[in-house]
Amino acid sequence: MPLTFIDIERQKNWRIAVFFLVLLLVYLAVALVVTAPLTDLTGPSTPRYWTVAVLLSFLAAGLHLWFSGGNAVAAVMHSLNARPPDPGDDIHRMFQNIVEEIHVVTGVKRKIQCAVIPSLSMNALAAADLQGNSLIAVTEGLLSRLTRPQAEAVVAHEAHHVLSGDCLETTVAASIFGTLSAALEKFRTLSSNRILFVPAVAVAWVLLKLSSLLNLFISREREYRADAAAVRMTRNPLALAEVFHLLSRSWRGAGFIGGGLEMLCIVNPQATTLDEREGFVADLLSTHPPLRKRMDIMLRMARVSVTELDARASGRNVRSAATAGPRYHAMSPKQVWQGPFTLQELAGLPWLGPLTWMTTDTAQAADRAWKDPLINAIFQARLAAPECKDSGMSCPSCCQPLKVTSQEGTQVSRCHFCAGTLIETAKIPRIIARTDRTNPCTERVTALARTVMKENQLRQVHRAFERSARSSVPALSCPKCGNRMYRGFYSMTHLIEVDRCSYCGLTWFDQDELAMLQCLIENRLVPDQGDMPATPSLQ
Amino acid sequence: MIGWIVLGLIVLVAVGVIAIYNRLVSTRNDVQGSWKQIDVQLKRRHDLVPNLVSSVKGAMTFEQDTLEKVMNARAKAVSATGMQARGEAENVLTQALGRLFAVMENYPDLKSNQNIMQLQEELTSTENRIAFARQLYNDLVANYRTRLQVFPNNLIASLFNFLPEEYFAAEEAARTAPAVDLSLKGK
Repeated sequence: MPLTFIDIERQKNWRIAVFFLVLLLVYLAVALVVTAPLTDLTGPSTPRYWTVAVLLSFLAAGLHLWFSGGNAVAAVMHSLNARPPDPGDDIHRMFQNIVEEIHVVTGVKRKIQCAVIPSLSMNALAAADLQGNSLIAVTEGLLSRLTRPQAEAVVAHEAHHVLSGDCLETTVAASIFGTLSAALEKFRTLSSNRILFVPAVAVAWVLLKLSSLLNLFISREREYRADAAAVRMTRNPLALAEVFHLLSRSWRGAGFIGGGLEMLCIVNPQATTLDEREGFVADLLSTHPPLRKRMDIMLRMARVSVTELDARASGRNVRSAATAGPRYHAMSPKQVWQGPFTLQELAGLPWLGPLTWMTTDTAQAADRAWKDPLINAIFQARLAAPECKDSGMSCPSCCQPLKVTSQEGTQVSRCHFCAGTLIETAKIPRIIARTDRTNPCTERVTALARTVMKENQLRQVHRAFERSARSSVPALSCPKCGNRMYRGFYSMTHLIEVDRCSYCGLTWFDQDELAMLQCLIENRLVPDQGDMPATPSLQ
Repeated sequence: MIGWIVLGLIVLVAVGVIAIYNRLVSTRNDVQGSWKQIDVQLKRRHDLVPNLVSSVKGAMTFEQDTLEKVMNARAKAVSATGMQARGEAENVLTQALGRLFAVMENYPDLKSNQNIMQLQEELTSTENRIAFARQLYNDLVANYRTRLQVFPNNLIASLFNFLPEEYFAAEEAARTAPAVDLSLKGK
């Protein structure tokens, strides 16, 4: 291993040349096949014929390499819909800081972009291209579940891929064949010209078959090396072991991260049995080493056993559940006891006042809300609330100014009167992914979510039945552009009604709707088929 | 004939000397450049510390002692001169800050303060940058020292008065490397 990253930077990459050679041979073969009938007419192949063929395939391979590898980082970002981190978001800011920190250790020679992939899956990838751009991207799901040291370890691992240059070779490999398969798809949909279609498909098919052979070039060793380098940078093997432990039990983005991008990732999105096997064949064909073995190496460095790691991970879960605090019941203005609420939920209740009657699970008698110092703090915070920034928009349902507040570390606009929330649609995945931190799934919200879902399920069936049926509640108007917002379910499996403005990319959640959505996704509550009344057949 | 051979040898030696000299200069510049990086980050930390202290002062009335230690350590670190003294003063500051962060964990209302959380994140990030910049610096110094000491280079180094650079000492407790076995074999 070279001494510093500056030394690594100076090493050249020979594998790119190998790819170029493979491409060259493919194009040469194509040229020969296509011109084979012509040679019959002109006589036996002459030196001139060979020169022209080689030159042409050289040109074609060069253009292909440049166009696919030249701007691969932008292509990867586009295909995954990755965005640069949002400076107004705590966790994104932390991620950006970490990338800049790691950048320092590299001697600040090469700019590394960072990006966040709006997906709940857990994976991270690095990409680099021939123009010298490089990228470290992490999914929203992984980012929100990692502690700072763990995120440092992941970024350091990816940074080593970028610096050692093996990232460049995998990106180029992925894009040579990835762009091709994408182009093939596009061609198939756009073109009806059969005559052009057949040779193009033939070339693409050959290249696609070759792409599976590419795994031969991509050595498993480089993942081990990147792990070791990550430890060398961060001095924290345990953090990386914890990341692997987490990844081994989560959705790594199978079905979302595709198109030959698997080899750029920290773990293979498709959890295959081949990856977990060892031996010659697996080493040859698989791009990622067994996760178990990588974790073992890290644990050996940290001198921690797997059982200890397991205990730690489960201990953390227990602790987060235990810190829920006391449950409160409150007397609503309609003189009905409601609850149980957590302190955080109480703060969101629009009708809660200092004179509201309150009781807790443990207390025997009811008392005024102001007598509990914890609840009294809510009222003091409300008085201080005008200090928080005005979002410049007004609440679509009660027309009061919306205030910018922080939810799960990101900025949202909230109405302090009806407790509704306005969120940019792009931010929803990250709020959903971060339920671990605050745990909005209280008993009350879970129960509410089940009821609402069941109700909405019925409503959906009715709506499909009688098409003219319209919701009796008038549509809200978008607080930004004033157009009517479209009311619909968040998705067909998550039947929570939200209002969306597709022009401004905003989504409005009424009180508790956001918490219910988080809860549905966190607990995987899906519409229950058994409880439904006999489904009327839709045509 | 012999004259040509001698001339050729002289030219060869001259070219060798020039190459070695140039490489030494570029390595030394790498070292000095990376020292600038540490300097930038240390300065950043010196600027951030007073902000953090003044914003947590109100909430942490019982911990005036800890806060005072941080401020004193900062003052010493700012005024320290010379590589050795600076390294030591900065390590004291790092430890004082570490204690402050540990104590801050006991004050849950500090956690709800957006401003303080941001300052803390900035400081943590700066701490890491300092550590990483130091790693890079020490790696480069080691590289440079090796270049100075190997055989033909040491003659040229003493001829042109290249001096070895000093290491930036790491604090003992905080960032000692764990017993790391980077070879993948040991089972």
